[in-house]
Amino acid sequence: MKAHKVIVIGDFGVGKTSLIRRYVLDVFSDQYRATLGVHLYKHSDVIPVNGTEQQIKLVLWDIEGAPLPGEQMMRYSLGASGAIVVGDLTRPDMIEPMRRAADMIEARLPGRPIGFAFNKYDIAPAPNDSDIAALKDRYGALITCTSAKTGDAVPTLFRNLTSLILGKKTGAL
Amino acid sequence: MSEVPTFDARILLEGARIVAARVDEDLIVREVVGDWCEVAVGEDVRDTVPALIGMEDELSQELPYVQLPFVSLGMSHEQPVAISVKRDWETQSLWILLRDVSEEASVQERLVHQHNALSLAHRELAAARDAALTADKAKTRFLANVSHELRTPLNVVIGGASILRKQRDKPLPNDDVITFSNDIHDSGILLLQLVDDLIDLSRAETGNLTIYEEWCNPSVIIDEMVRLSRGLPEAEGIEIVYLPNENVPEMYADPRRVKQILLNLLSNAVKVCSPGSRIQVETEVLGSGDFKITVRDNGPGMSQANLAIALEPFGQPNAETRARGTGLGLAIVAKLADLHQAKFDITTELGKGLAASTSFPAMRLSSNTG
Ligand SMILES: Nc1nc2c(ncn2[C@@H]2O[C@H](COP(=O)(O)OP(=O)(O)OP(=O)(O)O)[C@@H](O)[C@H]2O)c(=O)[nH]1
Ligand SMILES: [Mg+2]
Repeated sequence: MKAHKVIVIGDFGVGKTSLIRRYVLDVFSDQYRATLGVHLYKHSDVIPVNGTEQQIKLVLWDIEGAPLPGEQMMRYSLGASGAIVVGDLTRPDMIEPMRRAADMIEARLPGRPIGFAFNKYDIAPAPNDSDIAALKDRYGALITCTSAKTGDAVPTLFRNLTSLILGKKTGAL
Repeated sequence: MSEVPTFDARILLEGARIVAARVDEDLIVREVVGDWCEVAVGEDVRDTVPALIGMEDELSQELPYVQLPFVSLGMSHEQPVAISVKRDWETQSLWILLRDVSEEASVQERLVHQHNALSLAHRELAAARDAALTADKAKTRFLANVSHELRTPLNVVIGGASILRKQRDKPLPNDDVITFSNDIHDSGILLLQLVDDLIDLSRAETGNLTIYEEWCNPSVIIDEMVRLSRGLPEAEGIEIVYLPNENVPEMYADPRRVKQILLNLLSNAVKVCSPGSRIQVETEVLGSGDFKITVRDNGPGMSQANLAIALEPFGQPNAETRARGTGLGLAIVAKLADLHQAKFDITTELGKGLAASTSFPAMRLSSNTG
């Protein structure tokens, strides 16, 4: 079975590692430890596709955070089937860096689905409706408010993105 | 002819923390040099090096450019490796090189961590400083505005009263007496409302604003407030309507406060709308089960920047928002909504009207109490 590469990108400290570790290992730590380079997580899951359960394999790329996408992030994104762009709801100016990351994905990986994760939903409110609508309009993207801490919407985020990836695949055939 | 010494590069790799694997076009490992880590001949190289998954297109290029400085397989092994790919032109085969970079990584990781932690702390401090500065400015503005708002009606009261007092020397025509008494009365009411608003706001700020909840019918409340707002002096020529939704649920809330929310929003709308405009109140049960009441007008609207300021107590940047009520209205509405765990949201655009909605949480509605 083919495994899909999914990259997780965003500014540092927004919770990329925490989201992946919640999804794959169902753990969370309050301690911050910066990611250097990239950590890979292999994960199998079962998701519904056209009414039947389908086994899927993912290689999740937990990529070193940066306020804006740079040379390194681009190199790591090579060959990804989809991307998750993470933002931190507690930061007032979180949307612009997320747009920039998504722009990089669109340029580098045209047509690959993007999921936006607004993380730390346990301690901060959701973005306002107009910001969400603007992102949807622009990137046709999946938008989810998540909490790696409580686990809220975390599997949903990864599963919905995977569904989109599989959808793209069958659509292209 | 001198003999060229043969030299096997493999010797160099002995004991070095590096492994090179030669793979065929299907990415099956054909040869391994070095024994630092296990790469099995005959197997798909992507099984041991999952970082290559998805890179198939890049690997089939004439000159693959795959250079990943720090990759570690998460979960248990934290061993970071550098991965690079080279093409051997003679055999047309691909070599995958894995190099142990744990030493560099431990130093770099500490640096990256310190850098990130410092920048985060720095950003937090900057945000706190900005917030403190804005709060300070808002307070100054608030005080200036409070005095202004109190002075205007007070002047009417004092001016009117002193004219009436002079009647002893020179009696006024009856009509004038009535006009002056009316002005004094209206200004008094305005002052009272302002003081009430101030008390509410300061209670809310100190967490002492209590709500008295009971089951109430939002439709009845909205109806009442719509009728009341039609009677406002500025409402002349403005159409104010309530478009009830079929199934308006009963709601567990403080009816007096819900009225206050609606009246504030309606009177704000009335004040900025010119005759011929339309204000409508809509209700909707959202997919989440929340109950949303929206007051929508087709008045002048406002820009996002001004909206942010308008939400502050007395935060009125200019005439555009200045006209909206006593300046306490929106701040109080936001607090009252908050006390009901309701979400207060404004959508507006300059020139395109304004919609202010309060979404009461599903748990406050009769349909959800089963
Ligand atoms: N309250 C709360 N804290 C979170 C959440 N997700 C992450 N954190 C905390 O935020 C900090 C950063 O989380 P990480 O997952 O390490 O962030 P990262 O995006 O991987 O950071 P870099 O690797 O430096 O790019 C940690 O202290 C986490 O405990 C969340 O959903 N809620
Ligand atoms: Mg990380």
